[in-house]
Amino acid sequence: MSTQTAAERDMAALLIEALHLEDRDPATVDPAAPLFGEGAGSWGLDSIDALEIALAIQQKYGIELKADNEATKRAFASLRALTDYIAAQRPQAVH
Amino acid sequence: MTLSQSELLPLVAGDDPQAVLWQRGARPVTRAAFVRAAQRFAATLPGDGPLLNLCESRERFALTLAAALLARRTLLLPPSTAPATLREIAETHGVRAAVGERAELAAGLAWLPAPETGDADAAGEFGAVPAIPAAAIAAIPFTSGSTGRPQPHPKTWGTLVRTAQLALARFAPGGGRPSVVATVPPQHMYGLETSVVFALAGGLRTHAGKPFFPADVVAALAEVPAPRLLVTTPVHLRALVAAGLRAPAIERIVSATAPLAPELAAAAERLFGAPVCEIYGCTEAGSLATRRTVDGEIWRLHDGATLTPHEDGAALHGTHLPDAVWLQDRIELLDAGAGRFRLLGRAQDLLKVAGKRMSAADLTQKLLLIPGVEDGVIVPPDTGRERPAALVVAPSLSEAQILAALAERVDPVFLPRPLKRVARLPRNELGKLPQAQLAALLAGAGP
Repeated sequence: MSTQTAAERDMAALLIEALHLEDRDPATVDPAAPLFGEGAGSWGLDSIDALEIALAIQQKYGIELKADNEATKRAFASLRALTDYIAAQRPQAVH
Repeated sequence: MTLSQSELLPLVAGDDPQAVLWQRGARPVTRAAFVRAAQRFAATLPGDGPLLNLCESRERFALTLAAALLARRTLLLPPSTAPATLREIAETHGVRAAVGERAELAAGLAWLPAPETGDADAAGEFGAVPAIPAAAIAAIPFTSGSTGRPQPHPKTWGTLVRTAQLALARFAPGGGRPSVVATVPPQHMYGLETSVVFALAGGLRTHAGKPFFPADVVAALAEVPAPRLLVTTPVHLRALVAAGLRAPAIERIVSATAPLAPELAAAAERLFGAPVCEIYGCTEAGSLATRRTVDGEIWRLHDGATLTPHEDGAALHGTHLPDAVWLQDRIELLDAGAGRFRLLGRAQDLLKVAGKRMSAADLTQKLLLIPGVEDGVIVPPDTGRERPAALVVAPSLSEAQILAALAERVDPVFLPRPLKRVARLPRNELGKLPQAQLAALLAGAGP
């Protein structure tokens, strides 16, 4: 398993709270694991979870996710990709 | 007016060939361009036999539908793009090709790239709008089926057009033509009727996309002119209300696929300043009745249709339908002349406890009316359980508080045991609840 950054742990905590996955520990989830799909190690999330994640991110960071955007699709690949995407968006959101 | 075998109906309604039919992002597509592109695609469709329509864009989906009608090719609409489902439908119905945007979804069938209206289609002279026999089978939507095998439901062009016109009489009274933005796929009956046939048979300008996140929905709404009709589901509406984004003016919101909690409908009405209406329908009949959710539980049947209640269901007759449709819901007619009725629930959902009867749907609705209950479902008794159980989403309430509130509304024999609070219900993309997942949640540990 890859090592987490502090930002990835924050994002893991946000997802676990938003999706009520309280059986998971934000400190021990694999930041490189896929969020969606049935594969081994995947979080196994579905499209309804994606709506919940978008809402949690909007409320915490003021960033509105859009599905018609390739960057969003890439961002939902893993916790790490999502964390990086939000970090890249945040300076714009502050302006 | 009854359906006549020889009757012809236009492929697209309306007199003005330059009127906008589709809105692909910011780009408008006229009726004339759409018809020309459909004729072009029909003329170049290779092979023979039925086609699967996997198009995600409503414009491309409708071009494929129109081309299949013009080329007299049977068009199948799968309930999902799961490869096993597509292969099963293909094997059962002799399908060799699938039309869609993405080759990787074609599940091993020959892939035909989705058609699109081009610049050349927009130019030049426009001839007559093609006429389609009302009796032609326009599409065969599939439902997943209770046995797990996809079930076909053939639809004639006449039935699709007439049903859409009956629904439009409610949602666009007086012949108004709102712009449609829809969050549902065009392959399902609800999306087919509201976001494809409303456009073709009603002349409604319709956004080609399927916006998903709240920000997508707001952006799509901004791309079409007012007045706007938003076609959605309880799941998407809940996300939209929770996001609280500033949206362009909406004239009306329509929801279907699952019961809409009156509390959510009221919140959406306050936020968007628009009535929130529900469609009661099924794949067999399409839409058959409508209501404004905050006005209460009374449904209004489509004009010209009649319902005959029976002990274990109801028969639906309508001049727009080729045959009577049997509904698996028990209904109570309130005013047969005006077509007003109450749904008493699924016939097989009738709860019988201690000699008393109540429907699971009725009990679910009473549960959803409790302030603080955001979502919930009643799970009928099974072999291991004599009483109904319930799964409830109510972050601010305890199980005891929910049961106390429910006890004020129903006979105590129907109080769910257990009533379990959960973080959320395992709804699929259309808001439906798979029985197996409900059973697993009931069996599992608490939240």
